[in-house]
Amino acid sequence: MRRYVRIFREFFRACFVEELEYRSEFLGNLISSFFGIGIAVLTVNIFFYQTDQLGGWTYADVLVLLGVFNTLRGMIDFALRPNMPRLLEHVRRGTLDYILTKPVDSMFYVSFRHLVFWRLIDVLLGIGVIGYGLIKKHYIPSLVDVIVFIVTIAASFVLIYSLWMLLMTTSFWVIRIDDLSFIFDSFFETARFPVGMYRGWVRIVLTYVLPAAVITNMPALSLLGKWNMATALIAALLALVFLWLARRFWRFALRFYTSASS
Amino acid sequence: MIHVKHLHKSFRVHVRQTGWLEAIRSLLNREYRLVEAVKDISFTIEKGEIVGFLGPNGAGKTTTMKMLAGLLHPTSGEITVGGFVPFEQKTEFKKMMSLVMGQKSQLIWDIPPMETFLVNKAIYEIDDRTFQQTLDELVELLELAPLLDKPTRSLSLGQRMRCELAAALLHRPKVLFLDEPTIGLDVHTQEKVRRFIVDYNREHETTILLTSHYMGDVTALCDRVMIINHGTLIYDGELDVLTEKLAPYKRLEIRFANIPAVPWENYGEIVEIEDGKATLRVAREKVAEVSSHFLQHFHVHDINIQDPPMEEVITRAFQEGFNDS
Repeated sequence: MRRYVRIFREFFRACFVEELEYRSEFLGNLISSFFGIGIAVLTVNIFFYQTDQLGGWTYADVLVLLGVFNTLRGMIDFALRPNMPRLLEHVRRGTLDYILTKPVDSMFYVSFRHLVFWRLIDVLLGIGVIGYGLIKKHYIPSLVDVIVFIVTIAASFVLIYSLWMLLMTTSFWVIRIDDLSFIFDSFFETARFPVGMYRGWVRIVLTYVLPAAVITNMPALSLLGKWNMATALIAALLALVFLWLARRFWRFALRFYTSASS
Repeated sequence: MIHVKHLHKSFRVHVRQTGWLEAIRSLLNREYRLVEAVKDISFTIEKGEIVGFLGPNGAGKTTTMKMLAGLLHPTSGEITVGGFVPFEQKTEFKKMMSLVMGQKSQLIWDIPPMETFLVNKAIYEIDDRTFQQTLDELVELLELAPLLDKPTRSLSLGQRMRCELAAALLHRPKVLFLDEPTIGLDVHTQEKVRRFIVDYNREHETTILLTSHYMGDVTALCDRVMIINHGTLIYDGELDVLTEKLAPYKRLEIRFANIPAVPWENYGEIVEIEDGKATLRVAREKVAEVSSHFLQHFHVHDINIQDPPMEEVITRAFQEGFNDS
């Protein structure tokens, strides 16, 4: 475990150096991150000119939710988005060969080799918005709230990672699924708002079939002290089950790796 | 170090036909064909050997090498490398071997090679002192000093290849697989890379298996060659023996002050007779006799006896087949 932390740090360092090669990106990223969160907060404000509740959530609640959404998206853009689509390239071009000869877990390597650390700005901004929402709400989360929040947001991240990994692992057979990340984008966008806002079958689908809404709603509710131990545990368990499945599937898929010819 | 017994690998290949109708049909009902890439190959390589793996494109060289490196799962047969079964992909196994592919790069494109070395240092858990020692040695042998802090993308192909070799050797592997290490390099750089491989092998007793299209690589590096064609091993033995067996003649070049009028064809096959110079292809066992004959009876300026070029030998091998090997 310590070893993997060290390797992760080294990946981070290499990516940092790599990104600094293109220094001008820093400013662009900073501006776009601030702009993105600014627009999002503004949108929420516009909603609340008309009403003082959104699917049972008050203005401050929705801000916390927005913060959670931004934090989670920042984490995804930091670690997952740079890596998941690349797996396809590795298989297609045969560079997976090098990864498989390295004495690290190959799934770890393909998942975290590339990190876009600018996106950590989004994580920080997200945490900022969460803090702002909590101040507006005049609520100080207890230690348990924070622990449940960390567990549920980690579960959400692991769940997204596992699902994405499962999907990308199919590239061992289907080498031409061109960038499936857009599916994730549209799916994940629904997580921006309270589930209660959606009606009818959309709500059912977003709760049970594609639990995008749950992924952000649950951590937000935890932080607001409205958590439910049972659901939190189920979420954590579900995340672990999917992680296990993704791992099994990866090991299985490696047997079918045929490698690109040189 | 490397033991291979009755190794087989077959791929299921989708049979593609051209044309619209066929394309649509293949969507519904695909035909598959089983391609046997490697058929019943067995061999052993001892510690410290450099073995050349030869064969035309698509013969199964790279497939075999990838099975040895644990990348591909053999269909059947046994492989052990340094006591490990490669496909189990144990960490200890990966730490004792390395793979270099001339056509694929492991260096990080936008940043200097040194950064890749540092990533590898973490991955292979190399401690600081060993890392520094190994790096110093490789930097000296491969003349990397001026390259270390330039972005990889700005390096020439030859410079990049030298860095690839360094990246692959930082953890001091005991077994090294080189797949076309000199492909696309100019003659001078090829020579540099070869000299490095020979020196490195001598210094560290690394077992090296090499595939190459360039005969020069093989003649310069390997005492032993394995020739593979259509997935079968057709020759495994010393390079010299191969030459003798397939090319039972030598090339004899004699320069005279005045070229004598003799029945040349009695001495051997005529390659070329020109002003003051005769080139003959003479049977191995007659070379000594023929050359001493000319030296005694004629005024000879210079005499030169050579093995036929390796390309010629190998081409013949594939054309005529190996009957008794």
